[in-house]
Amino acid sequence: MSEFEQLPDAVNELVDSFVAQPIIGDEYFGFTQYTFWMAVAVVILVILLFAFKKRQAAHLVPEGRFVNAIEYLVEFARKDLVIDLLGATWRQHFPFIATVFFFILINNLIGLVPGAHPGTGTIGVTLALALMTFVYFIDVGVKKHGGWGYLKSLKPSGVPFPMDWLVWVIELFSTFLRLITLAVRLFCNMFAGHVVMGTFAILASLFIQRLAQGVTLEAITGAGISLMWILLLIIIYLVEMLVAAIQAYVFAMLTGVYVQLAEEEE
Amino acid sequence: MGVIGYGLGVIGAGIGIGIAAYGATTSMARQPEVQGRLFTVFILGSAFVEALALIGFVVALVVS
Repeated sequence: MSEFEQLPDAVNELVDSFVAQPIIGDEYFGFTQYTFWMAVAVVILVILLFAFKKRQAAHLVPEGRFVNAIEYLVEFARKDLVIDLLGATWRQHFPFIATVFFFILINNLIGLVPGAHPGTGTIGVTLALALMTFVYFIDVGVKKHGGWGYLKSLKPSGVPFPMDWLVWVIELFSTFLRLITLAVRLFCNMFAGHVVMGTFAILASLFIQRLAQGVTLEAITGAGISLMWILLLIIIYLVEMLVAAIQAYVFAMLTGVYVQLAEEEE
Repeated sequence: MGVIGYGLGVIGAGIGIGIAAYGATTSMARQPEVQGRLFTVFILGSAFVEALALIGFVVALVVS
């Protein structure tokens, strides 16, 4: 099985291809392949938005698959993500949470295109998204309780004196930890998914290589094994489709939960 | 070594998702009417647990 010996090098090459390569500019302020695919995602979102607006305005009742599908998605985001969590103040937070949800969803789905490097596949974008969420829910909390009041609202009520300040410190710490966990969760899910899909594709291509050197029994066995890898790849691909949707849902839902915790009365 | 470490890390996530699935199936058997809501919660729980395993995976890749 010499194919397995070639695998580590090929996987290293694959992982290296996930490092941001600037197309224009340097690696800190440049336009990398991730920026490009993120721009593609934004363009798709904008096109979908305007196409939807135009088609929806044409009829009073939603007609056609496209309009109905988009309405279903938006309704899902409104009902399951926002109204169920936030209750009365949902109208105020719906734009932000829905924007985050659809941005991540489109980015994740673009990641399923072979060779694409979507924005959510890099820690920079996920950290920026997490930072936006963080600032948003802190802002909501500060507007609701006032700066000092928000800090104090992290302290649980009904806990005896020395313990409540200990819990307060832990709560404060975990509030800042949310920033990291949000970013790392999304990034790791996407990155690991891309690496796993890439590895199976590499295995499939490595095993079929021998067929090019002539049709022998060994080569046919290799092709059979390659077919098995392709089947596994299809299964992983389906799982990744699920993961893409779930991670967008999880991110948006956690945003909702944090907002709800921030504006909650004691 | 990194691969072995990752394998060890996955044990925890496997147990975690197993417990989540156990809880979800038991509750669904007891109360089939809340199945939809339970499924969402189960998927969410699995996503959190899975994230830990994936962090291990990425760290193993990055460090090696």
